[in-house]
Amino acid sequence: MKRLLVGAMALALGAVPATAQSLDDLNIQIHGYATQGFLYSNQNNVLTTHSSDGSPAWDEAVLNLGAQPIPKLRVGVQARYFLLGNYGNTFTLDWAQADYKVDDRFGLRVGKVKMPVGLFNETQDIDPSYMFALLPQGVYSIASRTTLLSVYGGNAYGALKLNQLGTLEYRAFGGVREISGDDGNFLAARESGITLPQGLAAISVGATLRWRLPVQGLMIGASDFYNPQKSAPIVSTPTSGANVTSTNGTITVTAFHEPFYFVKYEEGRFLLAGEFNKISPHQIFALTGQATRASISDDRAWYGMATYKVTGKLTAGSYYNQAFNVAAPLGPKRYFKDWTVSGRYDFNQYLYAKAEEHFIDGTLYGFDTTLNSILLPTTKLTILKFGVSF
Amino acid sequence: MKKLLFAFLFVASASIFVVQAKAQVIVIANNSVKANEVSKNDLKDIFTGASTSIGGGNVVPILLKAGTAHEEFLQAYIGKNDAAYRAGWRSLVFSGQGTMPKSLEGDAAVVEFVAHTPGAIGYIGKASPHEGVKTLQVR
Repeated sequence: MKRLLVGAMALALGAVPATAQSLDDLNIQIHGYATQGFLYSNQNNVLTTHSSDGSPAWDEAVLNLGAQPIPKLRVGVQARYFLLGNYGNTFTLDWAQADYKVDDRFGLRVGKVKMPVGLFNETQDIDPSYMFALLPQGVYSIASRTTLLSVYGGNAYGALKLNQLGTLEYRAFGGVREISGDDGNFLAARESGITLPQGLAAISVGATLRWRLPVQGLMIGASDFYNPQKSAPIVSTPTSGANVTSTNGTITVTAFHEPFYFVKYEEGRFLLAGEFNKISPHQIFALTGQATRASISDDRAWYGMATYKVTGKLTAGSYYNQAFNVAAPLGPKRYFKDWTVSGRYDFNQYLYAKAEEHFIDGTLYGFDTTLNSILLPTTKLTILKFGVSF
Repeated sequence: MKKLLFAFLFVASASIFVVQAKAQVIVIANNSVKANEVSKNDLKDIFTGASTSIGGGNVVPILLKAGTAHEEFLQAYIGKNDAAYRAGWRSLVFSGQGTMPKSLEGDAAVVEFVAHTPGAIGYIGKASPHEGVKTLQVR
């Protein structure tokens, strides 16, 4: 049924003229995009899809409505349909905000707003905006991206010109993150029979600084955000045995912060980028009548990336990503190493295609046990993706 | 050796001439815009959404939908082709950070809009009539 709705949404998008509608009188614009991805893995199933058999279970459709009634004020809303294996099959509100920009030095966004952390977080779910089909999963895990995407709250932002020292851009945010019980962060819990019927709502505050240096095209930056301790109700249902009585309890996620450090150089046909990130939240499960148990993670991840615009329509690129859960026992489940080579072809300003090959060593990210009774340590993953945007 | 040096200088001079000959676009602005000139970097920032002001005053960029002047402007001042340029703007739109600038069909429409819209800044072919607007020098 949801695939029929996606098809209808795509048809509706196509029925809009190929250029975005601009309702001049009300200064309203409509934009959108839709993507279809195909995954094939030589062994192991990835991202909760049957990728070892070839899987088309990766769809996205986005509809964006915006208006600029006066030069300093923008309002907008964006809705999304997202399907990836068992991670999502839902319509969600991406963001809905009012944005008042006093001048280049200060602006304010309120509503459901994107979290401005890291190099790619604000655009990690915008497939048309980057060349790779999958961003480095150690830092931008598609399985758990809803935890990093947006907050109900606000952003303050601006850029300060430093004369000969370049430009310093800042973004600060605060609000409540609503994390679905289906999020990839809780995958291991779900596989052991624990569900979060109400998800988890957590306060987050953070900031990003980006320094565009006087060297043309060079930018360095850092972000951090903080979450205080938060609890939510859980229900545990045995996954095996005759006893199917559910037990109630709570999950507590201890306080943590998540820093990012990044650098980007973009000049002419080249783009070089690198980023480091770490996060160590602990999940504590307390079920009625049972001993408390903890799931401890201490993840460190980094990547180096390069892309080159071969022609006006063709871009090629590669990245190497490494991630470790320092708290995990030794073995492939402790790490994730991924060499990726990729190409993107823009047929025109509306239509594009991506082809990508991942050489993965380790199973720290993107491998569930429901579809993988035996997890092998290495995986070759091929991705084809088609997209249309206007 | 001298012949080689001469040939190199000739080619280098010719390539400069070719670049200058290609920049047959001018930047125009509404008369409310106080600045009379704009740096290449500031112009790029305006037309890529990184900035909304010149010389302390708010400006609104206006694009051509297509055409020679449009391609030359993107090449000379943005360093992208049309598809890459619009994809960059869509990143801002889909992440909630910007609104796609208005695109108009033809130089005459751009001149008409810029002339009647406070803060508007656009570009047209050098030879196109542009009464009612001011020209900004790009340095």
